[in-house]
Amino acid sequence: MSLPSHLPAAAPAPPEPQLWLARYGDELYRYARARVPDAASAEELVQDTLLSALDGLASFRAEASERTWLFVILKRKLIDYYRRRARHPEIGLEALDATGPTEATFFELHNGHWRGEQHPISWDPADGPMELQELREVLRRCQQKLPPQQEAVFALRFVEELSAEEICRELGLSAANYWVLVHRAKLQLRRCLEKNGLGRAATA
Amino acid sequence: MLRIISCQRATLLLEQRAEAALPPTERNSLWLHLRYCPYCRRYARQTVLIAELARAATAAPEQAGLSAEARQRLQERLRQAGLGRS
Repeated sequence: MSLPSHLPAAAPAPPEPQLWLARYGDELYRYARARVPDAASAEELVQDTLLSALDGLASFRAEASERTWLFVILKRKLIDYYRRRARHPEIGLEALDATGPTEATFFELHNGHWRGEQHPISWDPADGPMELQELREVLRRCQQKLPPQQEAVFALRFVEELSAEEICRELGLSAANYWVLVHRAKLQLRRCLEKNGLGRAATA
Repeated sequence: MLRIISCQRATLLLEQRAEAALPPTERNSLWLHLRYCPYCRRYARQTVLIAELARAATAAPEQAGLSAEARQRLQERLRQAGLGRS
């Protein structure tokens, strides 16, 4: 039996699922762990990723590396994770009001200007010295305090860097609801960062 | 045409501006508002900083990988799912 003379120069390497955990396990886990609040959820995300990849082995084309392919799956699983947390996709604006502080917390009802006690204060480093690492940690804790829908929108927009359009599709939000959620999340995070040290040294 | 807008509106427009260019009317209204409102000028810087921090926070360097127990659990789960058959 003779081999064909026109073999492709480099046959794509077949995937090696038995080595996935050893090769990519830690990396996948760290990626997930930096994005979810607890170790158990991160482990579950890695598990779901590897199981999905096993299921989809037939569709793996080796156009991308195995590693890239696994990360694409993990990112998809993360979006699903946030979607599950946000849950109620058809929620109306009236219902949103029940999930935490609203614009009325921050702005005067009659003219929409900042309420006195909510005036953004300066975050100049001289006023509240904070290590960058500490700052990131505070932000993560603040993110976890957001109502679930705001948390999901914020994470998808500013951490996963999805577009507004993609987020609306994933979470079943109207554009108007999306902007309300982004706006409220930012207002609340800003206040939370301030409560936890930013710009406070001057007044303390 | 310039229109006086509230701080509530201005801070919302700041978020929308980060996603896509604002229509000229909104852009002008926001510009005028920021010119006269020190609080919203401050907010404009801080909201960008929050976005930058959020993105950077996931790149935290020294993080532990999978624990031995977690690795064991995953191995077992993958085996059940069919890896062992091949």
